This record gives sequence, C-alpha cells and structure tokens, in this order.
Amino acid sequence: MLKMVIKIGSRLALLGIILVVMNWIYTRFFFEKDLETFAPDLRKVRVVPQNTNILYIGESSNYTYREDDLDKRSISDLMNDYFPNLHVSDVTKPASHSGIYKVLLAQLPTDSQISTVIVTLNLRSFNAQWIYSDLETQLQKTTVLLRPFPPLVNRFMLSFKGYDIKSDDERIQQFIKKWERDEFHFPYRFPFKNVKEWDNWMAVNGIKDENGVIDFDRTALACHYIKAYGFQIDTLENPRIKDFNDIINLAKKRSWHLVFNLMAENTEKARELVGDDLLFLMEQNRDLLNSYFSRRGVVIVDNLEAVADQEFIDRNWTTEHYAEHGRKIIAANLAKAILQYYPNEYSAVGISYDYETYFFNDCDNGETWGPDQSISSDRAFSGKYSSKTGNGLKYSSALVYPIRRIPDSLKREVRIHAMIYQESAIHDDVRMVIQAEGESVDDFWRGFEINIPEEESRKWIPYEIIFTLPKEIYNANEIKIYLYNPSLTTIYLDDMEVEFLE
Amino acid sequence: MLLAASYIFYMAWKVEYIFLIAFSTMIDYFSGIMMEKQTEKKSRRPYLILSLLTNLGLLFSFKYFNFTSSNLNSLIHFMGLNKDIPLMNFLLPVGISFYTFQTLSYSIDVYYGRQKAEKHLGYFALYVAFFPQLVAGPIERFSRLTPQLKMRHDFTYENLANGLRLILYGLFIKMVIADNLSAVVDKIYADPSQYSSIDIIKGVGLYSFQIYSDFYGYSIIAIGSALIMGIHIMDNFRTPYLAKNISEFWQRWHISLSTWFRDYLYYPLGGNRVVRQRWMINILIVFVVSGIWHGANWNFLIWGALYGIIYLIEKLINDSFKLEKKHKPYSFGHLALAAKTFIFVTIIWVFFRSQSFTEAIAVFKFILTNGNTATETLNLPISTLIFLAIFIISDVILYNYRFDKWSGNLPFVIRWSVYSVLIFAIIVFAGVDNFPFIYFQF
Repeated sequence: MLKMVIKIGSRLALLGIILVVMNWIYTRFFFEKDLETFAPDLRKVRVVPQNTNILYIGESSNYTYREDDLDKRSISDLMNDYFPNLHVSDVTKPASHSGIYKVLLAQLPTDSQISTVIVTLNLRSFNAQWIYSDLETQLQKTTVLLRPFPPLVNRFMLSFKGYDIKSDDERIQQFIKKWERDEFHFPYRFPFKNVKEWDNWMAVNGIKDENGVIDFDRTALACHYIKAYGFQIDTLENPRIKDFNDIINLAKKRSWHLVFNLMAENTEKARELVGDDLLFLMEQNRDLLNSYFSRRGVVIVDNLEAVADQEFIDRNWTTEHYAEHGRKIIAANLAKAILQYYPNEYSAVGISYDYETYFFNDCDNGETWGPDQSISSDRAFSGKYSSKTGNGLKYSSALVYPIRRIPDSLKREVRIHAMIYQESAIHDDVRMVIQAEGESVDDFWRGFEINIPEEESRKWIPYEIIFTLPKEIYNANEIKIYLYNPSLTTIYLDDMEVEFLE
Repeated sequence: MLLAASYIFYMAWKVEYIFLIAFSTMIDYFSGIMMEKQTEKKSRRPYLILSLLTNLGLLFSFKYFNFTSSNLNSLIHFMGLNKDIPLMNFLLPVGISFYTFQTLSYSIDVYYGRQKAEKHLGYFALYVAFFPQLVAGPIERFSRLTPQLKMRHDFTYENLANGLRLILYGLFIKMVIADNLSAVVDKIYADPSQYSSIDIIKGVGLYSFQIYSDFYGYSIIAIGSALIMGIHIMDNFRTPYLAKNISEFWQRWHISLSTWFRDYLYYPLGGNRVVRQRWMINILIVFVVSGIWHGANWNFLIWGALYGIIYLIEKLINDSFKLEKKHKPYSFGHLALAAKTFIFVTIIWVFFRSQSFTEAIAVFKFILTNGNTATETLNLPISTLIFLAIFIISDVILYNYRFDKWSGNLPFVIRWSVYSVLIFAIIVFAGVDNFPFIYFQF
C-alpha cells in the first residue's frame, strides 16, 4: 500500500512539474492569441488611454443613437463637454451587466490615471430574464481567461467549460421557475401572486382599443414591460448585487470615485400600458438600490424617470436606448454628480436640443421646402415666388419634419395657414394633406378639402385649419404637410405657416 | 454505494427521469424472477411480454410517439380528414435507448434460460444504471457485467493507471478532435449552399472523423472510468475506418450495439440459416431497425437501409469474386478496400448528420452544383489538422491494441511525453464551444 502511495505521489509530483512548465509555455507562446480570440473585450480595456481621468463603463445604451439625431455622440463623449480639460473614456459592451463590468474593471492597469469610474446600473439587468438570458453563456465565456489565476488554469476552465454554461432551454427554464417562485409583496392588495400570473393575465385580457378590440401589438409590449420590470430585488440573493459590491471593493482598492448610473427606463410607457402597479415596483427597486449602494459610499445618479417616452428609440421593446436629448440629459446628470470631484474643471453646458414648432415659407429666400419645380415666379402673395400646382404638378412645396423631435406636450395640434390663389373653381380632389410615416408608426394620411368658392378665384384667399394630431403619429420619423392638386386647375400657394400647438 | 452514485449521476441531468429507470428496473427484476419460477417456456412468455411491453412502451412513448403521430397526422390530412393526433412535449430521457436494450437483453436471456434471474434487487438495479455506461453505452450484457459488480475489487495502481490513460485519450479525441471538427462541420451542414463543392466534400468527410472521435471518446472514457474501479467494460470500437467492407465495419463500430442486434434480432429472425431471399430480408430488417434505434426520423431509417443494401451488394460481390481474402492487413489491397468502405460510410453519414431527408439531398445537390462558387470558406485551424493526423495515425497503430495497453508498454520518458502532449492539447487546443456527446441524444 505504501509503495502504491509513493508511486502515485511521485507521479503527481511529476505531473505538477509538467503543469508548471506547460503554464510557462502557454503563457509565453499561446496566451496572448487566446486572449484575442476568447476575451475580445480585453482589447476594449487595453485601449483605454493612459491619461483617462473618468471612465464610463456600460452597455449599448452608451452609444446607441437615433438616425435623426443631430448629435450622435455617446453619453460618455457628451460628458466630456462638461469637463473639457479632463479625459473621459469608455468601455462599452452590449448586453453587459455588473458581472462583466467587474471582470473588465479588474483588468485596468494599476498605474492608470483614472480617478472616477461611472458604472451603468441598469434596472432590467436585475430581472430574472436578464440574469438567465441566453446571452449569458457567451458573456461568461469571454471572462474566463481574465480570471485571477495562472493562464493555464484559466485555459483549462475554458476548455472544460468551467463557467456558467447552459443551453438556451435551460436558461428559459431557469427564469420561468424564478418567475413562479418569486412572489410579490405589495403594501396593498394586488391580484397577482407573481409575474407569471400577471403576464398571463395581460396576455389573455389584453389592451383594448376604443372599439373594445384587443390591440395585440400594445398587449405584447405590455407583457414585455411586465416581464422586464415586474420583480422585487432581493439584495441577499440577486447576483447583480454581489457583483456591484465586488466593484465597490475594487474601487476602494484602486481609490476610485465610484458612481452608479441608474439608467432611465420608459416609465411613461410603463404607466400607460400596465399602470401604476408596475411603476410602484420600478420605483421601489430604484429606492432600494439607491439606499443600498448609497450606504456603501457610492454616488447614485438616479435617472430612472429622467427621459421622456418619445426619447426612447425602441418602440416595441424595453431598452435603454435614448435619442439625442435623452443621452444629453443622462450626461448632464452624471456631470452634475461628479462635479464635486472636479469643481475647477466643470464647464456648464446647456442641453441644446434643436426642435422647432413654427415654420414659415414664403417660397423666397431659397427656402423651398421640397419639390423645387413647384416654385414659380408667375405670381406671389409676398415676395417674388409662390408654389405652383396643377396641370401635372401634383405636389406643392411641402413641410417635411421629424415630428418625434418635438415634445409630446408641444404637438397636440397643428395649425396650417396659407395664402391660396386659384385660377378657377377648385376640383374636389384637391386637398391640404398631412402625412406621417416611420418604422414605429402605421402610415398616416389625411386630406382636408379646400372650399374656396368659384367667385373667389383669381384672388389671394387665406386658408387655415387646425387639426388635433393623433397620438399614434407622435413618434413618426417624418410629418409632411403639402397641397395635393391632381386637377388641371392651377393653384398657387404662398406664405405657408405650420405651427405645432400645445 | 455505486448504485446511489449511479442514480445521483443520472439525476444530475433530470431528477424526475430516475423514476423511469427505477420503474423499468423493477419490472425486469420482477419479470426475471417470475420467468425463472416457471418450468414451461409457455408460462414464461407473459412475463417476457410484460418486460418487452414495458421497455419498448417507454421507449416508444418518449422517442417514437411524436414521429409516429406526425406521420399519421400527415396521412390523415392526406385522406382529407381534419383530425390531429396530439403530440407530446416530453424531453427525451438521456440514455433511454441504451439502458432499455441492456435490460431487454437480460429479460430475453432469462426467458431462453441462458441466464439465471438475479435475486438481489440492488445488483440488478446497478446493472441497469451503472453510471460509466448508462447514458451512451457500451450496452453491456448481464452475464459479463454483473459478476464483476458482485466481485470485490481492490484498488490497484494498474487499474488506476490504465483507467486514467483511457480517460486521457478519450478526452483528447473528444475535446481536441471531435469538438474542433464539430465547429467546422456544423457550419457546412447549417448552409451548404454557401460553400464550394470541395469544401462541402471536406465537411462531409470531416464529419466521419467527428462522429467517430465523439463516440469513441465517450466510450473509452466510460471504459476507463469503470476500469479505475476494477470493472472491465467491453470495447465498443476497433479502428472501424480500416474495415474492408460494411460487414467488417459493423464488427468494429459500436460493437456492443451490433452484437446486440445480432444476438437479439438477427439470430431470432433465423440469421443466415434460412433461404437466401429470407436472409437478405433479415439483413435489411436488422439494419433498418438499427437505424430507427438511433432516432425517430426518416433519415435514420434511410441511413440504416443504405447500410443494409450496401452490405448485401458487397456480400454478393465478395461471394462471387472472393476479393477480400486475397489481401493481407495494411497491404495496398487492404487499404484500397478500406478507402472504399470509408467513402461509402462517409456518404451514408450525410443522412445521419442531416436534420431531414431534404437537407441530406441538398448536401449532395450542392456538392454537384456549387463548383467553385462560394460565399464562405471552410477554415480548419492548422492545430486541428495536426491533431487529426495524429489521431488517424494513432488509430492505425491501435489497430490491434487499446491505448492503455499500448501506452503502458512505452518506456517511461516516452510515455510521459505522450501524456504531456495529450494534456497540453486538451487544455490548450480543446474546442471551447459546448458540443454535447452526439450519442447522448439517442
């Protein structure tokens, strides 16, 4: 027996020596290439400039923009406006969360100049569906080689799948179980025991339109909201809490000022689709995170309700992707929060956000508003030019504007005023048209008759309508307002005013 | 303790399904004892039927019910009726085909009086659920395995060393060969239209090595694990791609399954002691059933049938021309015949690998039509290619050996050098994506 023990012991010792040699060979010849292949995010950390003062780490909400944004910069870039003499850098990894951030932050060189780290605190990342997301396996895989062990050990763990590896089905089962297990605790009577019951109820009963018919798109979106926000964070159990605590410990070690950036959620839409109960949970979770992390010395920037509905880019899903104004608000709030660390470096920046509610076109001064061929010098109410239609020229000069840039409260109605000159009686088909289109709205078209009596022909006559805009087009990419004239009668249009009204 | 370990091992996958094994075990245990009590074969029959119905019933319910129902539904719709047989939404229990066949062999042997019934429920349950080979074989016979389970096994250095050698080699061929090939082959099969004809042919050829190294890897890990405990499980592979014909291929590939079909289907059908036409039908039945054993899918049926047809054609040609007896091992003739068998097997694997018959035909179509047209190229890492070459060479070397015996006889320094290469390859060059053992799905 002793002989066997000695034999096994000697073999194990030999194996130990071989493994040490292998670790050297691996580190020397293979590790860097493996890092490039299996931990591509490390590059994101490595390219953080040495002179960075403020590091922003987050997910796709940092840089996602809307096509019509005039300023398409990321939140982290926008922050730099407030501290022009400091260097703000970012590490952005889509679909990421605190479990990934902590691994990436640990890779920052200890001699870097970073003094403040801003970490995205995404409320949705605390929910079961995200914790057990099918993206998780891939995310976890990218962090294995970055663990604080000898490279060969990390590579061993990668080869033997020594990380949270599960199939998509297993992940789905995990969050479904969690949905069933976690019961709600409301301070008032609430009809549903858990999020599954709530979601099922919504799916079955649906959101009905004014005719009492279920609107399936809105119902599906409401279900998304329930599943995304219908949870109560348990600070003892939720893995994100532990990850954020690890980040706090790391920040203490590295002497960083730590800021948690609680991202804005579409609370307006949540209330509209689901109601105050869901908002209660969102606010309760917000308050819990606020108090929990504040007690641990972290600055929390509460953006939960900071961004208005129309600034959320994704209309059919719950995300934290904001259009220009939304990103600017977040950047401003963050800048205010870290002002205390850099009082002499701060430079106030107005959140300029360009939108207009009044438009005027007299067809002179080069402002043609669209089809140039309609601009005519035949006659004009003011100046030299007007917009001429008829005889094949079907469309007048048109106002085309990204209506979603205008805040909802400022576009309840639209007033259209123009001077119209008709050569003879106006044909029935002639219309003043309001048209809207965009990927998140159904195409909208409304034509208004122009009733100018024949005896008023050959005069400039004022025309005005005020129209209440339907909410469905608030988020349209474009609104177009123009005169449509398919007839043979020549009609001129001049001094057109379009005004969006509160 | 081993039984508890085996049950825990199985429950680690899905707790509820342990009741299936326990149920099957109880029925066969009871049937075996009752059959032994009967002196007349006729009076033993009801218990055999009970065992067959239970085991095959479970197998049918979990594995073949949806396949049968969906085909019947198609037939019903074809006849213009608007009725549907509902489908079941069960997860296929891992290893059900393996342990079902293992218990069936016991019941049939007891029925024919070839095997005494086991009185000890614990040993019988362990025979059914012995963890190293529970989920993907080898399918052991009661007469071989149970006496070993009952014996006292002292822990010996030799068993430990040989067991670890097999596990090491098994891990190498599964993780370094099969998993890396899988990453490449999966892409080809996912959309062959994107690849040139040559790349599709390469992908199809590589699958032959992927499935071999995947299943062979599992088998020798199982054999090695049992060997550490002093239990010898039968070999499941013996260099199958050096087989001169399909008949020999099946004597070297998944040996425990092919011998099972030989003993419990081919022989009862009359084997070759029947008229020639009947024998040919017997062969086809065995191969078709073997195909269906693998999965409830027309592809597997076609896969099995193709083996049967080629087997018969080869047999007829060989009987007429006595081609194969003229060649010595490793001679040019042998290698040429092995190459021919490999090509046949590789072509037939296309049906096994594809998700449907249409997909399999598409693979052949794109081989014939794509030529050099491609939007994607097959990228096989050079390291995988090197290790594949090492595997092929070692497989040829191991034609008459098993890795544990072969490596155990090497001089110390060379032996440890081989271990070092394998360990390094496993850690540094293993595939990193999750590719479960292919045979787990059966």
